[in-house]
Amino acid sequence: MPKELTYNKAFSELEKLVEQIEDDTIQLDTLAAKVKEANELILYCEDKLRGIENDVKSGSAKLTRGVSSKAKKKGK
Amino acid sequence: MWGYIKVGSCNPEGVEYRPPTNPISAKLCYYKVNISQPKSLYICPMPQAIKLSELAYEIQETMEARFEGETFWVTAEISDVKKYISTRRCYLKLVERDGNSTNTELRAVFWANYYNEIELFEKKTKQNFADGIEITCEVKVRFHPKYGLNLDVIKIDVAYTLGTIELERQKTLEKLVQENPKHIKLVEGNYITYNNRLPLPIVIQRVALITAPNSDGQRDFKQELEKNKHGYAFSVTEFLTQIQGDNAHQLILEQLQLVYNNKENFDMVAIVRGGGSQTDFKPFEDYELAKTVANFPIPIYTGIGHDRNTSIVDMMAREHKTPTKVAASIIEHNFEFENSIIELKERLNQQVDYILENAKENIQDLKRLVKLASPANIMKKGFAIITIKDKIIIDPKNIQPHTEIDILLQDQIIYTTVTKKEKNAQRTNL
Repeated sequence: MPKELTYNKAFSELEKLVEQIEDDTIQLDTLAAKVKEANELILYCEDKLRGIENDVKSGSAKLTRGVSSKAKKKGK
Repeated sequence: MWGYIKVGSCNPEGVEYRPPTNPISAKLCYYKVNISQPKSLYICPMPQAIKLSELAYEIQETMEARFEGETFWVTAEISDVKKYISTRRCYLKLVERDGNSTNTELRAVFWANYYNEIELFEKKTKQNFADGIEITCEVKVRFHPKYGLNLDVIKIDVAYTLGTIELERQKTLEKLVQENPKHIKLVEGNYITYNNRLPLPIVIQRVALITAPNSDGQRDFKQELEKNKHGYAFSVTEFLTQIQGDNAHQLILEQLQLVYNNKENFDMVAIVRGGGSQTDFKPFEDYELAKTVANFPIPIYTGIGHDRNTSIVDMMAREHKTPTKVAASIIEHNFEFENSIIELKERLNQQVDYILENAKENIQDLKRLVKLASPANIMKKGFAIITIKDKIIIDPKNIQPHTEIDILLQDQIIYTTVTKKEKNAQRTNL
C-alpha cells in the first residue's frame, strides 16, 4: 500500500477494486490479492477515523499548543 | 448704563419699571434703572446678588411650568452608557452630531422602574445597548438644582432600532455582493459564497475552533465531539478570543488570520459561541468579517447561538445555529463516509461469496460430467470396450475378420475371433 494514503485515495481505490471484483471476467487467481488489498483499504479508513492510526493526532498536537498560547495572548 | 434693583428694596422715582413676566417669579422681579443718571445712581449704586439656589429654584420653576407632565419622543445616538445592573439604573448621554462635531448633548437616565426597557431592547434587537447606536425614545425633561438638566427615559422605540438595523444590514449585504462579485452572489434569496461552496473534505478531523475561552460554546462543542458514539477521533486546535462586544469582529478577524497562516493543517473552521438572551449580534454583521469569511479557503461552520436570527456572517458560511449542532454535523459527515465504506465492504463480500459459490458449482458440474463419462459408468449400462492386444479400439477399420479381439464387459472379458464385418444399418436406432 502506498505510504501517503489519504481518505480520498483509499476510497477511490476501494471503489475501483470492488468494481473490478464485480466484473464477471475477474480471474480467480487475482481475486485473492484484490480482496486482500480492498480489506486493507477498509481497515485503513476505519482505523484512521478512530485515530488508531494516530498520525492525525500526533501531527497536530504540537501545533495545538503553539497556536493556542499565541491565540490566548492575542484574544485578551 | 442700566442696572437692576429688586422690588421692595427701594421704590425710586423716575425709574423704569419692568413688570414680572411670570407671576410665580413676582417675588423676584426687578426694576430696571439707569445707573448712569445721577439720580438713579443715588438710589441704587450696587448690583444686588441672589443666592444660587434661588436662581436654581427659579430655573426649576420655569422648566416645570413648561415641561411638567409632558413627554417627548426624540431620536439620538447614545454615548457614555453606564449600566448599573445591581441597582437597575443606566446613565448615558443623548447626542446629535453634525458631521464630525457634536451639536447637541444632553444627559439622560433610566431609573430602576424603566430599566426593563433596556433589557427588552437587547432581547428584541440582539444588540447590546451600548455607545454608538441610534435610538428613538420617549423622555421627560427634568431639572434638579443639584444634578442639573436630565432627560428621564421612559420608553425605547424598539421598532425604530430594528428598522435601522435591518437597513444597515441590507446596506452591508448589498455592498458585499457589489464589491465582491466573484466570491459572493445572491441567488434566489440565498448568498452563494466561495466559502460556503467549497467542497468539504471527505472526512473532517482537524478542526480549528474559534471561540471564547472558558465559554459554554467551547465546552459544548468539544464535549459533543469527544463523546461521539462512533468513537471517531478529532484534533481540535483552539483559537481563543473574546467573541462579543465592540471590537469582537476585529478579534475574530485576527484569529482567522492565524488559522489562515496554518491552513494546510485544518479540514474546517468552527466559529462558535453559547446562546442566551444577552448575546450580541453586532460583531457578526460586520462587513470586513463577513467578507473575510466569504473568501476564506477552508470551509467555515458557524454556531453562534441564534435560533431565530441569521447573521450576515452565517450567510457567508455554513450555518448550524449552535456549537452542539456544528459538532453533530461534523460527526454526521464522517458517519456518511464510514457508511459508504461499509456499503463497499458489503458489496465486496457479496461478490466474493458469489464468485466462490459459482466456482464451487462449476467444480461440482465438472465432477458429475467426469463421473458420467467414466468407462466404468458406461459399461454398467451395457456398453462394452473392444481391445486388441490391450489397446482400446475406437476405429472399426482396425478390425478385420479372423482378428482376435477382447470384449470387456463390466465384470467379464470375452476372448473371441471376428467372423464377419458389415455396416451397421441400425445405427440411428440406438
